[in-house]
Amino acid sequence: MLKRDDWLDLARKLDWDFSYVEEREVFPEEISGSPWLTAETWKDWDEPYRTSYTEYVKNQSIKEASVHAVRDAVGKVEDFQKHDPSWINGLKLHAATLALAEFAAVVGNLRAARFGRDSAWRTTALLGALDELRHAQIPLLIMHELVRWDPQFDWTHKFFHTNNWIAIAGRHLVDELLITSDPMEFAVGTNFVFETGFTNLQFIGLSTMAHAAGDRMFEKMVKSIQTDEARHAQIGHPVLQKIIAHDPKRAQYLVDKWFWRNWLFFAVITGFSMDYLTPLKHRTQSFKEFMQEWVLDQFKRSLEEMGLALPWYWQQFLDAIDTYHHMVYASAYTYRATTWFNFALPGPEERTWLQEKYAKTWPLFDPIWEQITNRWRKSGPGVEWYTHGATPVTFCNLCQLVLCGGSPERNSAEVITRGARKYVFCSKPCRWIFESEPERYEHHKDVVMRILSGEAPGNLFELLRYFDLTPSIWGKDVAGGRYPWMQLSKG
Amino acid sequence: MLVPLFGFLKGDTIGLVVLVHDTDRIKDLAASLQEAASVRVKPKTYAQVYRHGELLDPELTIAEVGLSALDRIDVIAENI
Repeated sequence: MLKRDDWLDLARKLDWDFSYVEEREVFPEEISGSPWLTAETWKDWDEPYRTSYTEYVKNQSIKEASVHAVRDAVGKVEDFQKHDPSWINGLKLHAATLALAEFAAVVGNLRAARFGRDSAWRTTALLGALDELRHAQIPLLIMHELVRWDPQFDWTHKFFHTNNWIAIAGRHLVDELLITSDPMEFAVGTNFVFETGFTNLQFIGLSTMAHAAGDRMFEKMVKSIQTDEARHAQIGHPVLQKIIAHDPKRAQYLVDKWFWRNWLFFAVITGFSMDYLTPLKHRTQSFKEFMQEWVLDQFKRSLEEMGLALPWYWQQFLDAIDTYHHMVYASAYTYRATTWFNFALPGPEERTWLQEKYAKTWPLFDPIWEQITNRWRKSGPGVEWYTHGATPVTFCNLCQLVLCGGSPERNSAEVITRGARKYVFCSKPCRWIFESEPERYEHHKDVVMRILSGEAPGNLFELLRYFDLTPSIWGKDVAGGRYPWMQLSKG
Repeated sequence: MLVPLFGFLKGDTIGLVVLVHDTDRIKDLAASLQEAASVRVKPKTYAQVYRHGELLDPELTIAEVGLSALDRIDVIAENI
């Protein structure tokens, strides 16, 4: 019997010459990606893991058994009931936004498993598809148990099937990045930028906080997922290197585009969790500190090694680390009924911590929390609507998130006219991405456009129904305004 | 005629859709945006409205200053 090293390379690099069809017919540029390169150009493609299918099955089986063992030990309703309510609501946000996004990544990987230009790439992508299937199933399984305790966990599965504004934004990102991208754009946007650039926020940052918060189930889940991601993320570098060698301008464009789109997504999902929904005593670092330590340095190093420039909006991005998730969180807190999870009101200790971590910008946000707190004091606990907005908010025509760019001093939104329609963007990078490929984005209707065209209701209560929310589900203050510190400071 | 505008109040964290009549005065627009954002930003006694950095006359109407649907306006408010 052949030893592994005797057959592995032959099996992984099993490409062949086509005799009765053209290579371009087998791998059309429209679906395989640009620049279109011959098989000869791709034949030295490789990635370091070199996993065989047998090894994959064996390893994954062990990992699965390990996750199930932790679930048996600490994955029951009563285990989750012990956690702080703020942390639980961070879980709801993560579970909803990530579970079916992982399923969408199955599609992206399967496209690469067919249309990737080298057999080793296609093999790794096929294993990646199996990985992503697992990443969809694990949170669905774990959170399903919790639905009978807290129906907001039902959004783990429901979220992407709704017209909720965050789901519209999520689909806009996920549909483009994971469902419709060709394998080359997928490799840059997902494998290189998303998986090697940003997921450390989840796998190291949130995993560390989960450990501190005593949530062994979440910690185990993300660590188990990380080991898969670390493998299939390796597709990104060698694909990007080929694009750089043959079309450096496109390589830079794809990196710049996807870094910005991924940043907005992670700023909301992880920024909320790290700086607001993780109880103060369990916070190990701020979102900004994690970004600096685990994303910026590594990403800058990767770009330098590959001979790419920093994205043209780098300074704006650095500024946004200090502001963007604070802008969105304060806004979303005051529109919390439009979401499926509950929000924590930062009290005096949290605000002091935020002041320390964001010394330059927090003075712009503190008066907002003071105003919200004063309204809670005036209304008393349980009166959610006195600290809730009623006027429709605005959405970016690229990222579909609320217009929360810039700072309270100056919102960075920009309006342009194209044909007979006006478009608004939360930031210059979103406008730039839209204007780079307008035909790709121009027909999408944001929530405001749906309201103005009569497709969605303008009245907030009716709109909540359009968002698939009912009073028992929609987001509230996590304590209903009953904070001990509020009583003390009032007295 | 109703005119939806993208309104940004200095000190606030989000843009809002402000629905005004084209016969409303600019000062009414400022008051509407302050009221809409009051859950986050305490209303102030005096407010000015800007379009692309140009100060709009508070006594003129929406139609008179030529604001049209989905234009951006900025409101800067202060206590005097």
